[in-house]
Amino acid sequence: MTPDNTTYRPAALTANRTMLWLAGILSAVMMAPVAWLIGLSIKNNQELMLGTESVFRMPYTIANYLNILHSSQVFGWLVNSFIVACGQTLGVLVLSSLAGYAFARLHFPFRRTLFIIVLFGLAVPEQAVIIARHQMFNWFGLHNSYLGLMLPGMSSAFGVFLMTQFFRAIPKEIDEAALLDNASQFRIFWKIMLPLTLPAQATLGIFTFLHGWNDYWWPLISATKKEMFTLTVGIASSQTNFAQSEGLGFLAAQAVFASLPVLIVYLVFQRHIVTAVSGGAVK
Amino acid sequence: MAESYRRNQWSHGLFILPYLAFFTVLLVFPLIWGMWLSLHKVDLFGPGRFVGLANYVRVFGDSVFLQALRNTLVFVAFSVPALVALGLFLALALNRTTRSTSFLRGLFFSSSVLSVTIVTLIWRFVFIPGDGLLPVIFEQLGMAPLNFLSTSGWSLFAVGVATVWWCLGLPMMLFLAALQQIPVDLYEAAALDNASPWRVLTRITLPSIARTIMLVTIIQIVMQFQLFGQAQLMTNGGPNGSSRPLVMYIYEVGFVRWDLGKGAAASQVLFLIILIAAMAQYVVSTRKTEAGE
Amino acid sequence: MSASIEINNVTKRYGALTVLDNISLTIKPGEFVVFLGPSGCGKSTLLRMIAGLEDVTDGTISAGGTRVDTLPPGQRGVAMVFQSYALYPHMTVAQNMAFGLENIKLPRDEINRRVALAAETLEIGHLLDRKPEKLSGGQRQRVAIGRAIVKEPKAFLFDEPLSNLDAALRGRTRLELAQLHARLGSTMVFVTHDQVEAMTLADRIVIMHDRKIEQIGTPMEVYQKPATRFVAGFIGSPAMNFIPVTAVGYDNAGLSVTTGGLGTLQTQIQPQPGFSHDGSTLGIRAEDVTVLSDGETGIGLTVEVVERLGDRTLVYGALDDGTKLTAEADGRSAARIGDRLQIRLDLSALHLFDAKGIAHRLEGV
Repeated sequence: MTPDNTTYRPAALTANRTMLWLAGILSAVMMAPVAWLIGLSIKNNQELMLGTESVFRMPYTIANYLNILHSSQVFGWLVNSFIVACGQTLGVLVLSSLAGYAFARLHFPFRRTLFIIVLFGLAVPEQAVIIARHQMFNWFGLHNSYLGLMLPGMSSAFGVFLMTQFFRAIPKEIDEAALLDNASQFRIFWKIMLPLTLPAQATLGIFTFLHGWNDYWWPLISATKKEMFTLTVGIASSQTNFAQSEGLGFLAAQAVFASLPVLIVYLVFQRHIVTAVSGGAVK
Repeated sequence: MAESYRRNQWSHGLFILPYLAFFTVLLVFPLIWGMWLSLHKVDLFGPGRFVGLANYVRVFGDSVFLQALRNTLVFVAFSVPALVALGLFLALALNRTTRSTSFLRGLFFSSSVLSVTIVTLIWRFVFIPGDGLLPVIFEQLGMAPLNFLSTSGWSLFAVGVATVWWCLGLPMMLFLAALQQIPVDLYEAAALDNASPWRVLTRITLPSIARTIMLVTIIQIVMQFQLFGQAQLMTNGGPNGSSRPLVMYIYEVGFVRWDLGKGAAASQVLFLIILIAAMAQYVVSTRKTEAGE
Repeated sequence: MSASIEINNVTKRYGALTVLDNISLTIKPGEFVVFLGPSGCGKSTLLRMIAGLEDVTDGTISAGGTRVDTLPPGQRGVAMVFQSYALYPHMTVAQNMAFGLENIKLPRDEINRRVALAAETLEIGHLLDRKPEKLSGGQRQRVAIGRAIVKEPKAFLFDEPLSNLDAALRGRTRLELAQLHARLGSTMVFVTHDQVEAMTLADRIVIMHDRKIEQIGTPMEVYQKPATRFVAGFIGSPAMNFIPVTAVGYDNAGLSVTTGGLGTLQTQIQPQPGFSHDGSTLGIRAEDVTVLSDGETGIGLTVEVVERLGDRTLVYGALDDGTKLTAEADGRSAARIGDRLQIRLDLSALHLFDAKGIAHRLEGV
């Protein structure tokens, strides 16, 4: 897709104005609920109780956000989510890199069979294992703990699959040169392979972090004590008593606040996320 | 005579041991145990007794389950085409590298990075009777407001709208990737052949990404079968279970009523459905590769 | 420091597929040996087996008298230069060269000394702090060679190292490799499919075809006395002329051979016992087919294509019975398509190949 102005560009690839305008209108529709949310968050709660059309009228206030800073709940949830997401990410990166390198480069008995078994793991939905996992973690007293929240995510086959693909993309001759250079397999992994897959690590890391951060299903079941709530569970719990809660404005502000970390990560790492999702093909 | 050096060594397998340990303990074992559980009558307090397929009979005989199954099927039947069609439209419209298209693409994808609880919060604020964005708009237009969340039939629709809003980014990205793989030469040849934009679309663009369309559809089917959070938080499956999906049924049976055996059985049924869809994806992708695309 | 390499009855199989069949050969210390052959003949596989990058299915490989096929690649004392150079992209040139030495725990000053020496030999001293992506193809290749030199190996292995270079660079690098060999005196094993590289660089050439060795010999040997029809057709450009033999006659001086277009020729060839002329072929190189000047008579050749190379002219034509023949004429030849030329063959330069492709020639030669 050259931006060269002198090269002929087929009509099918150049501006289709109507479609672009339609997309623009759709984007406005997409943004409307978010604008509404922000609108609610900057209104006084009492005013909103009288009628939410007041969003369209002045005055606006940041009192709700200030209240968040005083209320300790959201921060606690944030910290929990952060610890769980970080821990899970670290675990996945280590496990997937080691395994990916082995599947891509090393020769050992049953390699192909094991890889297919791991691949099947991709097809297993969480629901099929959740009841059993819950029981297991019960036995070991792992519920309501950071470890308990982190561990299930580390068994995901996606990371292994991704890292295997990335390791396969490195030219075989580089391993071979290192072998002839008398490096042990681990040294090859550590000093040569890993540095060459840093972009892949970043991609997988961000992807896993987002996944762990946004997880709802498992923390809902495993973190039943209020102090272990992650952000997702916390936000959900605050929705249960909608009308009698601290007020629509406050709830909205809380939601905006809770979205900020993820949106910041998204803005900063947008390219990496897109790469992870589209397999590196989208420019 | 000493053995020749072999590149195939057991010690190399040590690298996958850590992951395999996690995989076996947290995936394989629970999977098998889940199946075992589904064949027993278990609750939280004692070991169960073997009941064979009784749990499955109870599941299929449960009208709530059948309703949930129907809800899920309807939901998938409507949300997946919407996602695929909208995703495709956006990909076609935004398949250029200008600042406005980059911005719009970023916008449409941004909803996907939010968690389900935030998304449902946003959309509850849109739908709640009296105070929601939609009722407010309805009132301004002088129309009688419809309570989406507590009207049978509309509740599932509301969940669907929220879901499409949330999940639109992924299909769009996957289609964009596929569109950018189409060689420009094809379009140039079509231009020399005097093809109209519509013909180019139907005869060149769409056939070139046919496999991706298939793949995206199947991925979305698998994803949307696992609908849970939006339904639980927006409508709590109501009214009268008209928006309760399968996963929510599993949740209620397994973690609210603690009827573990029955919950496990229901989850195995869901697993089977998803497995069939995943197999279809595998077959489609390998068959198309063999045909040389 | 350089050692001999002995390959004893080596076979390589991938499952049911045999890639190398009972190969044996000995490379002398300090020798420059080229493995030459078409794609898929197994030459790269054999090289990689010496290095340890491929398993040996049957047989043994030794270097300097010690068996090496039981050792992992890094401990065999050989160094390899890959076709794509395989430099570590994230390390500088100096780090690339030092990596192997660090792994065997050499003291730092010894590492620095060797790296500096190799850099000087290859004239890459000014590139030591650069990363591979900032180097040209020729520079990268020198770094790859430098990485091999610092290991002070028993033997150097080269896997088609000139294939990625453009024609001009290829010629220059060939020269430098020859100089390197002269300077270091190490054993070098070089794999290529290009016969010009083989002819110019090798002390001995190992010609491989279809999982077996066709011939081992010096460049002159394989050129002048090819052992099989394959070798005769593979070495030399343009390819040797092959004409089917219709009849033979036995004589004291040698075989007299009858072919379709050439009539009966009196050769000096003494065939081995058991020779049958069924399916046999006569071979003669284009340069041994002389185009006679006007007035002289010989065998008739009708010209079909003329290639003027400047220093010589290649005349592709057909004999009276239709058999194709290539002759070499002077660079200033005025031959044109359709001309009927008179040619004469140098009878001492004839080759005879039986139905199995084995060459028969003067005994004892």
